[in-house]
Amino acid sequence: MIDPIATLREAFPDAVLDSTVYRDTPIVTIKADALLEVGRFLRDEPGLSYNLLSDLTVVDRLKLNHGQDFGSRFHGIYQLRSIERNGDLLQLKVPLPGGDDPVAPSVTGIWPTATWHEREAYDLFGVRYEGHPDLRRILLPPDWQGHPLRKDMPLGGERVPFSVTWDDEEFAFLGKQIMKAEQRPEPVPGRMDPKHMIVNMGPQHPATHGVLRLIVELDGERVVGIEPDIGYLHSGFEKQGENVRYKDFVYYTDRMDYVSAMQNNLAYCLAVEKLLGIEAPPRAQGIRVIMAELQRIASHLVWLATHALDVGGTGLSLLMYAFREREEILDLFEMVCGARLTTSYMRIGGVDQDLPPAFAPRLRELLAILPERFDEYERMLSRSPIWRHRLIGIGKLSKEDAIAYGVTGPMLRGSGVKYDLRKAQPYCGYDQYDFEIPCYPEGDSYARYLVRMGEMRQSVRIIQQALDNLPEGDHIIDDPKIAPPKRQLLDQSMEALIHHFKLFTEGIRPPVGEAYHGIEASKGEMGIYLVSDGGPHPYRCRVRTPSFSNLQVIELMSKGHLFSDIVTIIGTIDIVLGDVDR
Amino acid sequence: MIIVITSVIKSLVLILLLLTGFAYLTYYERKLLSRFQVRIGPNRAGPRGLLQPVADAVKAIFKEEVVPDHVDKVVYLLAPALSLIPALVAFAVVPLAPDLTIGNFTLRFHIADVNIALLYILAITSVGTYGIILGGWSSNNNYSLLGALRTASQMISYELPMGIILVAIILTTNIGRETGTLSLVEIVNQDRPWWLWLWLWLAFPMFFITMLAESNRSPFDLPETENELIAGFQIEYGGIKFALYFMAEYISMITGSAIMATLFFGGWHGPFATPGTWYGPIVGFGWLVLKIIVLLFLYIWVRASMPRIRYDQLLQFCWKILTPLSIAYLILTAIIVALAAP
Repeated sequence: MIDPIATLREAFPDAVLDSTVYRDTPIVTIKADALLEVGRFLRDEPGLSYNLLSDLTVVDRLKLNHGQDFGSRFHGIYQLRSIERNGDLLQLKVPLPGGDDPVAPSVTGIWPTATWHEREAYDLFGVRYEGHPDLRRILLPPDWQGHPLRKDMPLGGERVPFSVTWDDEEFAFLGKQIMKAEQRPEPVPGRMDPKHMIVNMGPQHPATHGVLRLIVELDGERVVGIEPDIGYLHSGFEKQGENVRYKDFVYYTDRMDYVSAMQNNLAYCLAVEKLLGIEAPPRAQGIRVIMAELQRIASHLVWLATHALDVGGTGLSLLMYAFREREEILDLFEMVCGARLTTSYMRIGGVDQDLPPAFAPRLRELLAILPERFDEYERMLSRSPIWRHRLIGIGKLSKEDAIAYGVTGPMLRGSGVKYDLRKAQPYCGYDQYDFEIPCYPEGDSYARYLVRMGEMRQSVRIIQQALDNLPEGDHIIDDPKIAPPKRQLLDQSMEALIHHFKLFTEGIRPPVGEAYHGIEASKGEMGIYLVSDGGPHPYRCRVRTPSFSNLQVIELMSKGHLFSDIVTIIGTIDIVLGDVDR
Repeated sequence: MIIVITSVIKSLVLILLLLTGFAYLTYYERKLLSRFQVRIGPNRAGPRGLLQPVADAVKAIFKEEVVPDHVDKVVYLLAPALSLIPALVAFAVVPLAPDLTIGNFTLRFHIADVNIALLYILAITSVGTYGIILGGWSSNNNYSLLGALRTASQMISYELPMGIILVAIILTTNIGRETGTLSLVEIVNQDRPWWLWLWLWLAFPMFFITMLAESNRSPFDLPETENELIAGFQIEYGGIKFALYFMAEYISMITGSAIMATLFFGGWHGPFATPGTWYGPIVGFGWLVLKIIVLLFLYIWVRASMPRIRYDQLLQFCWKILTPLSIAYLILTAIIVALAAP
């Protein structure tokens, strides 16, 4: 096992400012001037090969009083993983020069996935990346003032409730048409040839799975270029996360990738638990695995249904078949937590409630029928020559491109990289279960279809094992500082009552530190990066969503294909715009 | 004079029948699709949702008529009608039932017994394409333009194998006779030996595919492709103008089924549809309707179970597979006809 800190210190004695290991993650602070050199070394050095840039973000240290700031207000944070070495994680921290107007060297040349991540950091923090090919705002509109994730940015809209009266000026125009519907033609991106047909796809378009806008340059029906325009669903989850208590952000995570809420809950809870240095009890871990895998099946069913709909047209019955099974899964979720879509079932230190008695029999019934149903779908699709013609060879993504662009999840495995965080960096006891990673080397839409179909079958296997071996015990950690005391204790113990009161008024206070935790969500690596200043709110809450990185390759995948194939490619990327825009 | 009056009356009755047929075809399709998709389908308006088409019609008629600024108004308004009329007119040559003789007056259940009926059908269905192309062109929208372009190449391609199969069928009308015929009325009235039926049914799948493409039905619904072109050529149409396009598509489905029933399944022929009896026309018409309904079921079945083919694959399929197959079929038919000739 190679020690990245020692290797780095040896290779770049001047560049490394500081190094530490916090909660098993090596964190190395390096000088901004040396970033490119160090990055290239980390990527190319055989023993290290940190070839996947999982996440890139910035921390504004304006109000942070802990830790060393090395004379910089903004620190760039790079989460690197090595696919060859089982997703081994290394965190680079780069103090950015420039004070309130920070500048950083762009790492797009080393990890092309940084293209969008740096645009996001520019948008939200105002960091100028030198050498970036196309530094523009990405989530917010171009005329937005300021950079919202800076700590001196006012939250805005802080009105005292009930102070509004009918005399206020904002009611003067109530019910009147005050804005003239003015049509302003959007400028065509400069790199597109005006001789070609420029088609605006979205943000209202049936095949873009939400409010994605694509500016498509067509030569006849052939795609010459695509310019994705995202951010229509940007809701500032990170800013929210920094202004609510730790436990209250669980409910926000549901709304990010809204077809796999359980996975988002899990990613966040695991990150907070990593920060706290605790682990959920075994029963809670078993329940989490069951829920996460059920959610994976549900999410893949939505993907299958919508993909078939996109490729096949509204008449195709598979849409409803897949939703029929998903409905069963949502019923199970409703049984355990009362909600179907925005479950908020996971809690820091465990899960909200224990499984109800009727859950296991119902789940067993479902597990018995699911494999037959998957066979039915495959009979309907895999054997259909039209389906194969529409998918095989469409949206090719090579192994190298997939890694370079930070693509994760089924997309990466469809390109022949056998990498799954459940196996590579097991969490929630995934190492106890016997399952395989479906992986196909072709890198086309058909391979990704096979990967996802295979994953659903593997998830059934995992749930079966988790259900059979579910240990007895607590469903949430027995620590009154983290989880509320048991209900019956509140009637007997004064201390329990005090703990309950303190927990719900003040929340959890993790120790000072920082932690990044990524899980294998349905669409890829879902990671949460938290910085704690010892208070009840996270100082910095960063969400790395799989769809954001995965969507980046759309232009690479669709160039040279036909207009109809864009729809197939959007489907095969399996984006959820809540997950892209956050 | 009496011919003119009966023709007008027959036309009006036929149009009424077709429009009702269209309305209930939408109901039939929605109910069937919902069965395929484990749903229930329309069930609110009237018993079992039977008044749903009426509700749809009322809604379409009373919708606000929006004509976008950027369209070519005359062509834009003309195009839906241009699409609907050929679909209706093509039905004129289809025999609906055996003749009814009352005294010395014979009532014929077809509007026109032209001796070039098959040519007429080919010609009329091609005119229908103009409605779609002009609609897409005049809308002045990228999506509808792409839809219109697709229509043009799709229709032109698929008329070729369709025409070739029709030629083969015309050839078979020569068997056992002095001359063949192009008239649908005569084709229905001819007796065919059993082996000829089998031989004709061999061509039915090919002909059905061309009819699917001809009426823009899934998996060949590329002109509208709701998933990438949103609604293709009809994207700028709303209210009753959209309904006219919708009608054209569904009525051409009915017409197509009627032609297929006539050419391949004996039209109104069936047990108890005896010509010359008083009940013959009623039973005969019933048989034709039944055959049309079964064929329409095929259209909907295909829609529920097939993904959509891609534009270039559609053309490849037509030119590389369907056209050679239909030519081979024509040649074999010609040989059979020559051998069967006395």
